[in-house]
Amino acid sequence: MNKLIRRNLIRAAIILAIQVILLKRIDITFSGFNYIHFTIYPVILALLPYKTDKTLMVLIGFVMGFFVDMFYDSPGVHAATSTFTAYLRYYILALIAPTDGYGKDGLTSYGYGFVWFVSYMGILLFIHLLALYSIEAFSFVYLNEILLRSIFSFIASFFLLVLAQLIFNPRY
Amino acid sequence: MRNLIYLIIRYSALFVFILLECLSFYLIVNYNRSQKEIWSHSSNLFTGGINKRMENIQNYFSLQVQNDSLLSENARLREQIINYRVASKENAFQEFESTDTLRKYHLIPVGVCGKTLNLRNNYFTLCKGRAAGIRPGMGVISDKGIVGIVKTVSNHFSTVLLLTNSQSRISARIKDSNYPGTIVWNNSNPRIVNLIEVPRHAVVEIGDSIVCSGYSISFAPDVFIGRIADFKIHEGNSNYSIDVELSEDLSALDFVYVIDYHYIEEKSNQLELENE
Repeated sequence: MNKLIRRNLIRAAIILAIQVILLKRIDITFSGFNYIHFTIYPVILALLPYKTDKTLMVLIGFVMGFFVDMFYDSPGVHAATSTFTAYLRYYILALIAPTDGYGKDGLTSYGYGFVWFVSYMGILLFIHLLALYSIEAFSFVYLNEILLRSIFSFIASFFLLVLAQLIFNPRY
Repeated sequence: MRNLIYLIIRYSALFVFILLECLSFYLIVNYNRSQKEIWSHSSNLFTGGINKRMENIQNYFSLQVQNDSLLSENARLREQIINYRVASKENAFQEFESTDTLRKYHLIPVGVCGKTLNLRNNYFTLCKGRAAGIRPGMGVISDKGIVGIVKTVSNHFSTVLLLTNSQSRISARIKDSNYPGTIVWNNSNPRIVNLIEVPRHAVVEIGDSIVCSGYSISFAPDVFIGRIADFKIHEGNSNYSIDVELSEDLSALDFVYVIDYHYIEEKSNQLELENE
């Protein structure tokens, strides 16, 4: 159990570091096309053990989002989004539950198969990005922009996450 | 109570979620400039709309008060017009006169409480009386012209002898040619009164304005009465018989102004002396 917590903490630290130090600086812009932003930290929420308490999930989501916010200079935006995603994770899991239920703690492709992981991660990430850019724009007047950003950022970030999953193939 | 605690424990994730989202949105709105602007703008739109609607409703309830205040303002303005007109006329050859001359006429706005219109002798009942400063003999005018003269006064009501009353006699003159006459009512049409005692050498044309002469204590000079609709001279008569069409329908009036002439007693005493 301790190993599980330690593993998650280290993973969170590494991913957050990559997010706020490296990915934040990557700015893909060509001729007014500025819709790609890498956002990989939702994977921390996704990979938390299945048995994590719901309340604790929500708290973790908030703290994590707030941490990201401090680096992105946008107090509250990522916090609101992460809290939202953390709360929704339970329902996403219920939605795509495997036929024999969740027997193992690690919600990875190692435990439940690549296809399951891709759909789980895809739904979670896309919801996160859509919420993120909606809250960032703070108005549905910019619906086009919100959708474009969500879709392109989703493709880029999702690619990174699946690649990492394939390379490291973690058990937990 | 215990059930409440169970409920909170059962849905603790939901409560924490809502709490944290509120906190996040509080942060967003308070510490991000563009979101703050959008927030304040849209909340202004929302509250502004509500405020406007509430104001409309409130306006509806305060209509009576506004009406009254407009009425008293109207009275004040008309009073000024009358007083300036009088002052300018009387001071034509004087360069300096104390401002007291501007305060000769004072108007009291009054609502009409009762009417008789189709009789031979018609009266208005006004909703104010002696308590509001109304005295017998004062003139009553409306926005467009004269109405009548106050006949009797109780503490809170007063009776007005209308123009369309067979006993009414009001001193008037033709505005352009300045010939004086008397307004009486001796027909049955409530829109037409008669100007009598105009000598047959006077110049009279259809459409001429008839105004108050200012000789009586009741009315200020030049208050409009009506226009000449028709005139003729009966055989063997030395005076014109002129039909004057009133500027408005007396039956439609709801508000009138009573003219309070500052020197009413002095002037009426003087007139009585002349008559002796």
